[in-house]
Amino acid sequence: MVFGFLSSGNNKKGKERKKLHDSSGNNGKRSSNDIILKDINIFYSGKQAIKDVDMTIPEKKVTAFIGPSGCGKSTLLRNINRMNDEIVGCTYDGEILWQGTDILEKKVDPVALRRRIGMVFQKPNPFPKTIFDNIAYGPKLLGIRNKKKLKEIVEKSLRDAALWNEVKDRLNDSAMGLSGGQQQRLCIARALAVEPDVILMDEPCSALDPIATAKIEDLINELKKEYTVVIVTHNMQQASRISDFTGFMYLGELIEFGKTRQIFENPKEDLTERYITGRFG
Amino acid sequence: MPEKFDHEMGLLNEDIWNMGVLSQKMLLLAVESLKNRDKDLADKVLGMKEELYDYDQHIEEHTLKVLILYQPVAKEMRNLACILKMITYLTRIGRYGYDISKVTLELADQPLVKKLIDIPNMAKIVAGMLDDVLKAWETEDLSLIEDFTERDDVLDEERYSIFRECLTYVMEDPKTITRCMHYVMVARYLERCGDHCCKIAEKVVYKVEGKHVEIS
Repeated sequence: MVFGFLSSGNNKKGKERKKLHDSSGNNGKRSSNDIILKDINIFYSGKQAIKDVDMTIPEKKVTAFIGPSGCGKSTLLRNINRMNDEIVGCTYDGEILWQGTDILEKKVDPVALRRRIGMVFQKPNPFPKTIFDNIAYGPKLLGIRNKKKLKEIVEKSLRDAALWNEVKDRLNDSAMGLSGGQQQRLCIARALAVEPDVILMDEPCSALDPIATAKIEDLINELKKEYTVVIVTHNMQQASRISDFTGFMYLGELIEFGKTRQIFENPKEDLTERYITGRFG
Repeated sequence: MPEKFDHEMGLLNEDIWNMGVLSQKMLLLAVESLKNRDKDLADKVLGMKEELYDYDQHIEEHTLKVLILYQPVAKEMRNLACILKMITYLTRIGRYGYDISKVTLELADQPLVKKLIDIPNMAKIVAGMLDDVLKAWETEDLSLIEDFTERDDVLDEERYSIFRECLTYVMEDPKTITRCMHYVMVARYLERCGDHCCKIAEKVVYKVEGKHVEIS
C-alpha cells in the first residue's frame, strides 16, 4: 500500500468506499461440486507443459482460461475430463478433486467421467447423421432405447442449447447442413444430452462469426444456471463478457486467477496486465 | 496496436494537462482580478471559458473514441475512467474562476472592504492542490496527494473564518453587505474547488491502485 489513507476505517485520512453489492455471486463458499486442482503437472513425452497448477473452479460459474498460444490452457482443460489420457506420451500428476473423488486416479473410469464432464471443441464436429441422431447418440450408448424418452432428451437438449426453435421442423435432416453456429450449438446440445455436470469448452467460438458467437455467449450465460462451465478462449473480450472467474496462464503456469472483473480492472500481476493490455513479448 | 494506442493516450494526456493548467490559470487570475479590482484581467478570464469548454468536449469525445476503438482494460481503462471524471471537475474549477471574475466586474468600482488576504490564500492552496493532483495523475506518485484531507480542512476553516469576519463588517456597516456577501460566495467557490481537487485525487487513486476511496 502506497499511503495510509487507503487503509479502511481510518476516518481521519479517508477510507475505502463501501461496496453496495457483490455482483460475482460467489460468496467464498466451497462446494464439493467445485473442481479443485492441486499441484497439477502435465508432460508431453517428458517435456513439462503444465507446472504446479493449483486452482478451484467454482460450481455453476463460468471460468475462463486465457493466455498466449502454447501456454497450456487447452492441455489443462483436457485434463479435467482425462482427455489427455488419449494422447500418446502425455503423463500427469497431481490431484483434481471433484465430488469427493480424485478424478485423476486410475480407478476412475475416464469414459464415465466424460459423461459427467462433457466437452465442446474449437471446430463444430457433428456426426454425419441426422440432427436427431446426433443428440440421441450419447443417450443410446448409455442404453436408453425408449423412443419417447429419446425424443424428450433430444428436445430438452436442443432447447437448453437454444437451437430447438431453429431445427424442430427438420430433426431428420443431416446435421451437416446446419450453419457453423448452429453446428456448434448442436455439439453443445449433444454434450448436454448425457446430462453432464460440467461442460468444458475449448475455444468454442473461434470458428464462428459475431452473430453466432453472441448466441453461444448467451447460451453459456444460461448454461451456468445448471452447469459448471470452463472455457478456453483467445478472445479476451469474450472472457470478460461471459466469465465469472478468469485464470491467466503463461508458459504452463497459472500466473493469476481471480474474479473476472478484478483480472480485467486491476490485475495483481504485472505479467497479466501486460498480456491483457497487449504489451506482451 | 499498443503503439497506436499509446499515441492516442499521449495526445489525451497532453490535453488533460493543458486543461488543468487552464483551469488553474482561470482561478488564479480571477482571484487576482478581485484583489486588484482589475476589470481587464477579469474580462480576460471570461474570455477563457470557451477554450475550457472546448477542452471538456474534445477530451470527452477523444476518450470515448479510444474506449470504443481499443476497448482498453486494467490500468489503461482506469486511466480513461479517471480522465472522464477529471474533465468535469476541471471544468467546474475553471468555471468558478469565471464566476469570480464576474464578481470582480460587479465590485471593481467599489473599494475593498479590507485588503484581501484570506481569499488569495485559499486560491493559493487550491492551486497547489491542483498542481499536485495533476502531477500525481501523471507520475502516479500518490504521496503528492497524501495530505489532501488536511489541506481540504484548512480550506474549510478559511471559508468559515471569512464568513465570520464578513459578519463583523456587515454588523458594523450595512453598506458592506453586498461586497461581503460576494466575498463569502467567493470563499465558498474556492472551498468547492478544494472539494473538486479531492474528487480528482480519488480518481487518481483509482487509476494508480484500482481502489475506490473517499478523500475528505
